[in-house]
Amino acid sequence: MDVASHSLESESMGIIKLDSYVLIIRGLDRFKFIDGLSTNKVEGDSCTVFTTTSAKVIDMVDVIDMGEFLALVGHNPFKNNVLEHMHKKILGQDIQIGDASQNNSVYLSTLDIDVADSVTIRKTWRGWILVAPNSATIKETMDLEDFDEYRVMNMIPHQGCEITPNNHPLACGLGHLVHEAKGCYIGQEVLARMRSRGRQGKQLVRLENPVENATTIGKTHSLSIVRTTN
Amino acid sequence: MDCNTCDTAPAIVLNKPEVVSVTLTITTKAKEMLDSAFEGDMSHALLVGVLSGGCSGYMYDLQIVESTDQDCQELSVDGFRVLVPNASSHLLDGIEIDYVDRLMGGGFKINNPNAASSCGCGESFS
Repeated sequence: MDVASHSLESESMGIIKLDSYVLIIRGLDRFKFIDGLSTNKVEGDSCTVFTTTSAKVIDMVDVIDMGEFLALVGHNPFKNNVLEHMHKKILGQDIQIGDASQNNSVYLSTLDIDVADSVTIRKTWRGWILVAPNSATIKETMDLEDFDEYRVMNMIPHQGCEITPNNHPLACGLGHLVHEAKGCYIGQEVLARMRSRGRQGKQLVRLENPVENATTIGKTHSLSIVRTTN
Repeated sequence: MDCNTCDTAPAIVLNKPEVVSVTLTITTKAKEMLDSAFEGDMSHALLVGVLSGGCSGYMYDLQIVESTDQDCQELSVDGFRVLVPNASSHLLDGIEIDYVDRLMGGGFKINNPNAASSCGCGESFS
């Protein structure tokens, strides 16, 4: 049984289009606002997780610092929950939210590639995230089966598979996105208690096939979220 | 993602919460501590606000200020000028400002009938 590590090595390499939203966050308080609502430090390009007060995942987002604004890239089926989560927390802050999802497509590449100037590319722990306007042409070179294999080999959880509203970040392999020293954020008390007591309940593992209750099935191994024994 | 697609991204309309005409109370102990903090200079005001963040989603923000840029409603409570930002008025109507005198976790406390829950330190609520 293997536990999470992200070395990004696999025989399955390529580019796949993700089902993603792209939200544009403007305003003087954009960093402070996203930082205060999510598990990781948000001071520039980063990846972080929005969680509920009971520390369940709302969505994991890549935060791309575009200079005058931030682009939040998350999982499209979770978009409305993220927007609802953020809406309620905008009180007097200088925050404006736009939705650029219709005008852009999001891809994940397992390799660093050359792209047109209009395409934004950032290295993340999952690979390279590409945000491309609809006018740009990006060719998919990896199908879902290859992507799953890449994720299984690198123990990369994905929204809808391991990253779901039923799990907390520590259980679904996102512990590296839960900052240990940052101040309070929604769900922090619960996650800090789990860590300090060494009781996170469940964890993401890679097991040799066949795997019962697999969250992602690979050729020889699969991912699963199993209850920890401590 | 070129500049054009970002600039033309449709804005998401935020439903701003209703502005509520706030009433609040201050306990005797809190009044004593505020008297001490104001040092008799009643030209200043107590700003009672809410910030997003904290373990439960919202955090109280108490400040003694001369003025503020925030759009506020001004109350007079027991001789104190109290400013409440309209943006967070829906979260603060009916609160009681108390002062708890103890070595750990002491200080000003907000008893809020609008709060469904609060975090362990008492500074954050939802």
